[in-house]
Amino acid sequence: MTTWVELEKFQPVAVKMINNSITRQRIAHAYLFHGPPGTGKQEASLLFAMRYFCENKDEHSSEPCHECVSCKRIQSGNHPDLHWIEPDGQSIKKDQIEYLQKEFTYTGLESNQKFYVVKQAEKMTVNAANRLLKFLEEPSQDTVAVLITEHSGQMLDTIVSRCQRIQFHTLSGEHLYQQLLDQGLAESTAKLFSSMKMDVNQAVEWNEDDWFAEARKIVIQLMDKVMNSNEEGYLYLHQVYLKHFQGRESLEFGLELLLIWFQDIISLHLDKQDSVVLIDQMERLEQFHYIVSLSEAKTLIYEVLYTKRRLAQNVHPTLAMENLILQLQR
Amino acid sequence: MKILIEREPLMASIQNVMKAISSKTTIPILSGIKLEANDQGVKLTGSNSDITIESIIPKEEDGVINIHEIIPGQIVVQAKFLPEIIKKLPNNQVEIDVDDDLNLKIKSGHAEFKLNGQDAEEYPQLPMLQTENSFDLQIDLLKMLIRQTNFAVSVSETRPILTGVHLKLEENLLELVATDSHRLASRKISMNDAEELFFNNVVIPGKSLSELNKILDETQDTIQISVTDNQILFRTKNVYFLSRLLDGNYPETSRLIPNQSKTVVKVNSKELIESIDRASLLAKDNRNNIVKLVTKGQNTLQITSNSPEIGHVEETLETDSIDGEELKISFNAKYMIDALRAIDSDKVSINFTGAMRPFVIRPEEDDEQILQLITPVRTY
Repeated sequence: MTTWVELEKFQPVAVKMINNSITRQRIAHAYLFHGPPGTGKQEASLLFAMRYFCENKDEHSSEPCHECVSCKRIQSGNHPDLHWIEPDGQSIKKDQIEYLQKEFTYTGLESNQKFYVVKQAEKMTVNAANRLLKFLEEPSQDTVAVLITEHSGQMLDTIVSRCQRIQFHTLSGEHLYQQLLDQGLAESTAKLFSSMKMDVNQAVEWNEDDWFAEARKIVIQLMDKVMNSNEEGYLYLHQVYLKHFQGRESLEFGLELLLIWFQDIISLHLDKQDSVVLIDQMERLEQFHYIVSLSEAKTLIYEVLYTKRRLAQNVHPTLAMENLILQLQR
Repeated sequence: MKILIEREPLMASIQNVMKAISSKTTIPILSGIKLEANDQGVKLTGSNSDITIESIIPKEEDGVINIHEIIPGQIVVQAKFLPEIIKKLPNNQVEIDVDDDLNLKIKSGHAEFKLNGQDAEEYPQLPMLQTENSFDLQIDLLKMLIRQTNFAVSVSETRPILTGVHLKLEENLLELVATDSHRLASRKISMNDAEELFFNNVVIPGKSLSELNKILDETQDTIQISVTDNQILFRTKNVYFLSRLLDGNYPETSRLIPNQSKTVVKVNSKELIESIDRASLLAKDNRNNIVKLVTKGQNTLQITSNSPEIGHVEETLETDSIDGEELKISFNAKYMIDALRAIDSDKVSINFTGAMRPFVIRPEEDDEQILQLITPVRTY
């Protein structure tokens, strides 16, 4: 279990701000934790909630005790006055906010303190966000809200302006890389995951998953096919690629891998051998960077990013991928 | 923990606490029943976080031994399967055994179940009972109080505080008020032994009260009611019912009730209910369910309802007396019927203060104990 001290090592500013507001007893009614994935936003809100409900609080320290009944139940998700709201499918629905609203018209079950955390807060529907606004504006006593988001730009301005914003900085790739190596990942995999800014626990999980190894192989083969004008990348897409990458999340992951591939080609063009991610594919990259010029690689990166956006806009995945392959085909 | 217990009382207790457990909970531990054994007996707890029901099986009751063997301890067990398991056990005695790894063993005759339990420490901690802040009521009286006020709570969540019944105790007078801002129901009763005690702004959710009403039997026994900061406890001999309260300030309602009147109608309650019910037959489809009431000479009322698409209904009703100004007033028939039923008296007196002002219904023996207020509907 992490502690503030551990978290402070890679989020010095954010942790300091939260800690100060706790020790000086100036806890705001709403916080917005924003920053890229895997930067400890959720850990921070968990620690915050634990300190808030902890039964052995030390006035001068922001650290929860980790041992009392409240701390334990927060960790196991059984504390009755702490509420987590997560997207139900694609978005956070109005009903979920209504549940929260109802919950807050009641007195607390154990104490009169209440704490709620909204994960991926940018996924609230407009209706839900406006409902939330109502009680963000008029909080009852001793209520703390934490909204967590990776895209603070997608949130309603009216919500953002009512929260204290706390920015979680991108982890340095180096730091993450080191952590992943400590977890016993292979160098090439660690490099890949750290460049994707993946959460450590998730990275370890993926590393043991065959799906991931296969995915990586397929992406590299796909690049082989599209970079070679004799081969049919289009066919490969249908026969292999789309069968493996099914569902929105895995498709996005595939695109993420493609992005890294092109980033590496750019790195080679700029003679920055150190920043190449796919170190085990050096030969291939060397070979392809003669085929794809610097400016071409740049255009193709834009194409991949467009495809990502199209998928988010519910364009049919097969069509979006077909379109991308036609653009990539040399 | 280990207990050897009679099946009947255990089953009854499980059925009591199951009423509080809902299948969809946000907190995983609340899908379970908490079993707690100490030297006096076994306590079962079920909760959906809004209401909590505790049921106690004493070791020995009226000379009947319920529990033969107790080693204290506690555990939380999945509520989904427990009732069926206990119900279908072959023997009249059940042995429940919990080991240190939270495994639960239920043995009866030759049948043996092994269930995975959860740590009882994870279960919400209920507030300690403060017995000095409590008073007693008869159960049938409490049930009547609930019946007479709870129907008037608001069903819409726009003003959440109105979804509850307001409880106030002051100078030995207990007052319950419920309103949805279109109608108001109020009931007062005088207490005997509560001089020391007073509280205000205790708002019990209407849903909790209906639940409580279902659980209690119509008996003369007393029930002890205690109020704490965030919960209210209703305590009968072996069943404790806890509910969370609504947070916020209940609006001041005493000023809403008019203290003078221009027209007073005294009428047989049952006849009035029946005639309004008939008139509302045509109005029911309408959004407001509006019925019109007009005073006529010779102590008669005319009750009409008109829905242009369906038809028209008209009825005259003899009253005991009509005093004061002539009146034409329209109101929601359902509110009127609810109010008359709640008053539960043969004769009622209705005090009007003009067609645009709320009117008050009281039983004719005017003892100010129960009062129903309805706001009229504006018609053209």
